[in-house]
Amino acid sequence: MSHAPGPVTPTWLGVVAHLHVTARAFLPMRPQEAITLIAGRGIEGDRYMLGIEEGFYSAKPEEGRQVTLFEAEALEAIRRDHGIELLPEEHRRNVTTRGVPLTHLVGRRFRLGACLLEATRLSVPCRHIEEILEKPVFDPMINRSGLNCRILEGGVVRVGDAVRPA
Amino acid sequence: MRLIRTVVREAVAAGPGIRRLVLMDPEGWPLPRQKPGAHIDLHPPDGLVRAYSLCGDPAQQDRYVVAVKREEAGRGGSLWLHDALEVGAEIGVSLPRCTFPLAPDATRHVFIAGGIGVTPFLSMAAALERAGGNYVLHLLHRGALPLPGHLPRHAVLHDTSAAPRPALADLLGAPAPGLHAYCCGPNGLIEAFEAATRDWPSGQAHVEHFVPPPLPPDPEARPFTLVLARSGASAELPAGAPLLPAIKALGGEVEASCEGGICGACKVRWLEGPPLHRDRVLQPEARREYLMACVAGCAGPRLVLDL
Ligand code: FES
Repeated sequence: MSHAPGPVTPTWLGVVAHLHVTARAFLPMRPQEAITLIAGRGIEGDRYMLGIEEGFYSAKPEEGRQVTLFEAEALEAIRRDHGIELLPEEHRRNVTTRGVPLTHLVGRRFRLGACLLEATRLSVPCRHIEEILEKPVFDPMINRSGLNCRILEGGVVRVGDAVRPA
Repeated sequence: MRLIRTVVREAVAAGPGIRRLVLMDPEGWPLPRQKPGAHIDLHPPDGLVRAYSLCGDPAQQDRYVVAVKREEAGRGGSLWLHDALEVGAEIGVSLPRCTFPLAPDATRHVFIAGGIGVTPFLSMAAALERAGGNYVLHLLHRGALPLPGHLPRHAVLHDTSAAPRPALADLLGAPAPGLHAYCCGPNGLIEAFEAATRDWPSGQAHVEHFVPPPLPPDPEARPFTLVLARSGASAELPAGAPLLPAIKALGGEVEASCEGGICGACKVRWLEGPPLHRDRVLQPEARREYLMACVAGCAGPRLVLDL
């Protein structure tokens, strides 16, 4: 007697630890309890929202970077390996996750709260991050600079929401 | 190049030929952190980038305050900032850079300023007032005061149009542990300061140029190969050739502002050299890793940059 296959057990299950936005490049990131993602565009009030900032900066917002994520575990690794305290508002990504293997998600879809995201590529550290923070974090952030994503289904994301495979 | 977008919220005459500008984010967001003594580049639309010391209270994170002296004979940037820039207009600025920091281990600070060279000391004094630090500002000025109404509590004014310039050694006193001296002003004043502090322990006397000092050709300069490590592009350069245009011609990206080795904008990591450092901003430890591309040369056959 055969059984119908049960629901696929996710191989990982993470959580939203912190949320941050900033209106413009270089300005300090502000903590948020909740952010609103708009499919195909970006986060309400954030610098990477498509349609904002065009014309002033040479670097335009890019289509695959509507929302950015960073692992809380990477902050801990940077503290452990380099003795540098990097805070969640300092890595300059919107969502700090815990328990999510971000580097393995490139090209995949996953759920951030109720929203559906598609990971486009790994982020690269900003050339100016050391000047902004006055901390020598450029080298430690190479290969651990987070993940850029496109928003397929928007909605509100809150601190504490689950992050899981789609 | 990415700039910080600001709007002019105040523009007020503040002393002889001086216009004091308050720049804020268009929606009043806090701006990137500013350290006491830091400066920013202003980017007027004509492309004449110029550096100005931040002269507000660094604790006021929503504004950058600069004081622009009108220089009829200058490169033109200051005239535009005086005559064309209006309240409500937008202007792009760079991230703050600090090449003139307060010594963290000092127990007393003596500031010597010449005229508009008072600006970096205004942000330093504000920070010291807040932290209960011990300082005195000697302001040498000719006639009307720069930035009246914005000078700190412990300011001693020396009007050099009414009396001869005081001897700097008298203002500075004898060197002592924990005593740090700072000077910002015209090159003549900086030279006098450097002479007066020649015998001070190293690291206790600090200067900030606002006009690049003249740079004689370096006798050690020789022809070399410039290599940009990331792209692999290279070029043969004659002895003493300036690096900035050569880097640009090879497709490398470097910011520049003073182009005279004093502002810190064009810092680049070097991988092979050794470079000839001719700047006034990098500390000895920093020179082992970085050079200032606007004035540096090369003492070896190959200069490889991390670009
Ligand atoms: S451009 Fe100012 S130090 Fe080189």
